[in-house]
Amino acid sequence: MRKKVFITLFVLLALGIAGIVYVFNLKYADSKKETADFTVNASTFINEFAGDNTLANKKYSEKIISVSGRVSSTEQADTTINIKMEDSTTGNYIIFAFQNQYLKEAKQINEGDSVVIKGSCSGGIYSEILESSSVSFKRCTLMEKVK
Amino acid sequence: MKKTAFLFVLSLVTCFAFAQKKLVTTSATISFDATTSIDALPKATNKTVIASLATKTGDIAFEAAIKNFAFTNPKIQEHFNGEGWMNSDKFATATFKGKITDLTKVNFSKNGSYSVPVSGTLMIHGESNPVTSTATIVVEGKKISTSSNFSIALEDYKVKGGAIGAGKVAKNPTITVQADFN
Repeated sequence: MRKKVFITLFVLLALGIAGIVYVFNLKYADSKKETADFTVNASTFINEFAGDNTLANKKYSEKIISVSGRVSSTEQADTTINIKMEDSTTGNYIIFAFQNQYLKEAKQINEGDSVVIKGSCSGGIYSEILESSSVSFKRCTLMEKVK
Repeated sequence: MKKTAFLFVLSLVTCFAFAQKKLVTTSATISFDATTSIDALPKATNKTVIASLATKTGDIAFEAAIKNFAFTNPKIQEHFNGEGWMNSDKFATATFKGKITDLTKVNFSKNGSYSVPVSGTLMIHGESNPVTSTATIVVEGKKISTSSNFSIALEDYKVKGGAIGAGKVAKNPTITVQADFN
């Protein structure tokens, strides 16, 4: 009887430790290999957030999205580069921060390039500084580039 | 003589215009480190922070989308954004509004590295608190880089959770801010 209790406790302890180790070692998947939940065009996407930010946030936040559009500018972000697609009329924009293993891809993108970028959407916010709205992405990767 | 006078006036006007400039970037970075001796995971960086610096008045502002803090571990990111922590669905941004309190410590028209006092209001999780820190400003031609390190008490921003009590998340995480204006 004692032996059974001891074995049960040991198995539970081992499972608990394995569970903790598993959670601690979880890592985000490679964005290039992730399947996009949505495929969108940059200007339509920007307008969707400008039209109803709450609704768009519910629909797109933390989803993997593939965005096609023209690069309006590239910006130095510490030692890396962010890619921007801006609506020049409203000043509203999408900004993409790249996944660590794909930082080099961002440096190969130039203003004016037509690209498809895939990443995790962090939703849209209204900026009091810029008086415009922005949608930010993290863990991005370049899927296509047409000059 | 006339040409010299013209050039002198032109350079003054240029300096004056430059001194008044409000600089803006949408790619400032904010990192926070809440790691402890028993948990190395609670740290993240947001590389798409909106920042502005008015060189004439010394006004500084930052806006960061909470959901764009990128963690390496999906579970930690989920906890961070959840209702029990940052509740980023409700409190989507963290903001700082402040100023360089002694503008005589920096010359935006002269290359160099300057240490300046900064104070303002930091709003996280819907809670605002005064913050005072020292920032480093590096002027290099037209490029102005600003950076600062400071720590905050999570308690002041009503960020609570069992993980803090259990020692897995630091009570006073360090925040690093970097903004490059070109």
